[in-house]
Amino acid sequence: MNLPLLSLLIFLPLAGVVVLWLLPARATRPVVALNMLLTLALATAVLFAYDPAGARFQLVEKLPWIASLNIHYLVAVDGISVLFLPATALLFLASLVACWNAVQDAPRLHYSLLLLLQSATVGIFCALDTALFFVFWEMSLVPIYFLLARWGVSSGSAQAAARYFLIMLAGGIPLLIAFVMLAASQPVPTFDLTVLLGVPLPRSTQTAIFLLCLLGFGIKVPLVPLHTWLPQFALAAPGSLTALLVGLKLGAFGLIRFAIPLAPEAALDLHWLLAGLGTVAILYGAVGMLAQSNLRVGLAYASICHVGLAVLGLASYTAQAAQGAVSLLLSFSVATGGAFVLLEFLRQRTGSTDINALGGAAKTMPLLATGFLICGLAGVGMPGTSSFPGEFMLIIAALQSHTGAGMAALFGLSIAAGGFLSLYRKAFFGPVTRPAVAEASDLRPREWIVLVALILMIVGIGVYPGPWIEIVRPAAEAWAAGLGR
Amino acid sequence: MSSGLSEIFWYNQAGLPLLLLLQLLPLCGAAVVYVFNERRTAVTLGKIFALGELLLGIVVVSHINPLSPALQLAERYTPLAYHVAVDGLSMLFVLLTALLTFLMTLYGMSRGMISPGRLFAVLLLAETGLVGMLVTVNVAWFAAFSGLELWSVVYLLRRWASSRAEIHALARFVQYQAFGWVLFVAGCIVLGWGHAEATGGYWSFDLFDLVGAVPVGKFQTAAFYLLFYGLAVRTPLFPLHGWLPNMAQHGLIAVAPALMVGVKVGIYGMMRFVLPLTPAAVQYWQPYVVGFAMAGVFFTAALAFQQSNLRRLLAFAVVSHTSLLVIGLFSLHESGIQGAMLLAANFGLAVTGMWFIVGFVFRRTGTTELHELSGLFERIPFLAIAFLSFGLAIVGMPGTPGFDAAHLILEASIDTFGALSTVATALGNVAAAGFLLWAFQKAFLSQARVGGHDVDRTQIMEYLVCGIALAAMLAIGFFTEPWLYLTETASQAAAARFVR
Repeated sequence: MNLPLLSLLIFLPLAGVVVLWLLPARATRPVVALNMLLTLALATAVLFAYDPAGARFQLVEKLPWIASLNIHYLVAVDGISVLFLPATALLFLASLVACWNAVQDAPRLHYSLLLLLQSATVGIFCALDTALFFVFWEMSLVPIYFLLARWGVSSGSAQAAARYFLIMLAGGIPLLIAFVMLAASQPVPTFDLTVLLGVPLPRSTQTAIFLLCLLGFGIKVPLVPLHTWLPQFALAAPGSLTALLVGLKLGAFGLIRFAIPLAPEAALDLHWLLAGLGTVAILYGAVGMLAQSNLRVGLAYASICHVGLAVLGLASYTAQAAQGAVSLLLSFSVATGGAFVLLEFLRQRTGSTDINALGGAAKTMPLLATGFLICGLAGVGMPGTSSFPGEFMLIIAALQSHTGAGMAALFGLSIAAGGFLSLYRKAFFGPVTRPAVAEASDLRPREWIVLVALILMIVGIGVYPGPWIEIVRPAAEAWAAGLGR
Repeated sequence: MSSGLSEIFWYNQAGLPLLLLLQLLPLCGAAVVYVFNERRTAVTLGKIFALGELLLGIVVVSHINPLSPALQLAERYTPLAYHVAVDGLSMLFVLLTALLTFLMTLYGMSRGMISPGRLFAVLLLAETGLVGMLVTVNVAWFAAFSGLELWSVVYLLRRWASSRAEIHALARFVQYQAFGWVLFVAGCIVLGWGHAEATGGYWSFDLFDLVGAVPVGKFQTAAFYLLFYGLAVRTPLFPLHGWLPNMAQHGLIAVAPALMVGVKVGIYGMMRFVLPLTPAAVQYWQPYVVGFAMAGVFFTAALAFQQSNLRRLLAFAVVSHTSLLVIGLFSLHESGIQGAMLLAANFGLAVTGMWFIVGFVFRRTGTTELHELSGLFERIPFLAIAFLSFGLAIVGMPGTPGFDAAHLILEASIDTFGALSTVATALGNVAAAGFLLWAFQKAFLSQARVGGHDVDRTQIMEYLVCGIALAAMLAIGFFTEPWLYLTETASQAAAARFVR
């Protein structure tokens, strides 16, 4: 089978946009749904076409793009990225269901932007040419800006959108500079990651590149103190959008894919920086979560906390840590993404996700409450959920390489778990006092299908993680071998 | 001293003196349209001539060889000191000029301006001036064409002025431009004089003669300053930008500012004449020029944030990004020069597009005050998205031509000035993104006020104007390769005379 699967995957959503504007407006939602289902099928096909035991990068497609700058259209997948593709497709589908009836206003434009964002996201996971990666990276900003500014749920959404856009644009500068420096450091300037990985750089250049990438990706992760856009974003955006942004950990993926392997010696030298940032993020996120009264913002802080764990674990630079980090990030796509989608269902019913406006929500919406609990527990790494294997591997790695930080991380994670349960109790248990909660109806069939799919994945992977982890393992070992570990 | 300049004559490359045609076509167009005056045919003919010039430009590009460092399709007529020749860089700007003029004719129609026949005649005359500046290699002819173009713009501003503020803006414009023009002419005289001194009384303003006898010492510094500041007024470069905001606010929307800053002939003139004719002074004053430009990026960005009028805001955006071009050019690095030229073309297209949209908005609302505009997105979503896309192009978003150009400038800037000043410059770009987004949100996204303007839907002509500009931009953005190919050798030739 020689279909250009990855290109199809990248361009299918764009084709969907064209079809959307050719057909009458009432066909919008079916077309988008069909498109996203096809994308999911394609992503699954990619997963089957990928051979974990085979070469490092597979399904490679390489075409010259800007020949005089030696920029190529180069896409491929490895064990680190391949699972993110079905996760992306699934999450976009869930997001679509979450905003199925909520978008009454210019729906064609809304769904076009959503498809554009999907195309850019898939591109980010597939691109192996740093310039191409950067194009996709920046391309994802425009749809997010529009979706938030135009369809935000709070009065401050336009400001939040502009702020997000500008911060991310500023974050793009260090990345672009790092990529240009990398290209210029080669005898023949190149942006090809596979070439760049093979050529060791002088130590000082490596340090500069590592720090620039850490800054650029750190904003997206987000690492404390670069996280300030996230709480505001979570408050202003509908859950369907936040699910995509928080669920897909593009920043952490960038660290694993680019920052660390491209500057291995500098990364090893600066392990304390990475570990320190990770630990601070865990503690800050956990404590920050305790202070929230809005579930969406609380979950945003929880995600800061958990991605901090991935960063801390990575600082041990072992294959086990990389494997753990990738599987934890994947699990978050499902768990945190699912939790935000459920919060969007909740917001559409009660008009708020603030615990002061809820209380007793489990009485009128038992299915929703159960689903949210399972997603939330997966988010805090409960054994038996999909997050547990990754979290376990990361904690072991952290305890071995940075024992003190690992202990602090354990402490932070228990605070986060407590914080989540406390928020959950206030929102879903107790007497029903608000009329909005009392009148709310439980999940509709369309909604619980999504929920069941998510929970099946969370529990299924949690109980039987073997095959998934095995897909990641060879790539993680190659990753660690590249660092000399 | 070897001049390092060579040329290939037109009869070796084409069957016709194409550059002469390129200059005569809009001139004839202007004359014909003038004769037809206010008849309907004048309007149609104006559009046909503008389109013809664009097609002719494409033909010319197909006849040059971008891989040769020589200036090509050269034509000389000694009695008049007429000497024209082009390379990839000039043709980039010629194409841009032709495209913008064509779009302006479409725009002029859709705005429903008074006496469109006369407008088109002046527009074609201005195009003649611009094309003349871009193809000539004689500084005196450059100055003459510049005068012609400035006169056309002054006529435009005067003929279509309707208030005292506009006359005031016009006066300011004339003062600045006359001053800049006189500086440039004085610089030409210094150069010509230097040549006469060196060759025993033979005056010449021809680039090919002058590079062999560049003025020495103080005279070169003087020539550099006169030429540089003469062009800096035109460009406009901070702190000589005072004429632009007033003109942008009160002048004829879109057409006048687009003619002045859509095609960056100031930057082009620096590349074509200032760099080769005063190389030592350029290298000596490089840090000062770049320092001023960096200050300019931020200072004007800060000023842009203070504006309450969309037209003034765009004017400051122009000044801010022009500083970026100067940084690229004065890196004296081939990538920097190439990047600056591509970015100049990109800015020209994008800013003109934004000005068109401002014009469309003004036609609907009668105002460009930001606090009086609101909720336009709901009524004219296509124009809103186009406005944002043009803004993103200015910021150098990937997928627009600005990206590869900005990328080249960054590369040159890291090489020449180090990473820190590069980061500073790039942050200036983020500031630009900031005020453009701010303006966009105020005018287009904010909640429509009750009793606000009942805004018309987008019209076909508006779709056409913005659609063409957008399509051109995205096409160039995703397929940059031909443009890099067109400009690469010429940029190397321009940078070759500077030692790094």
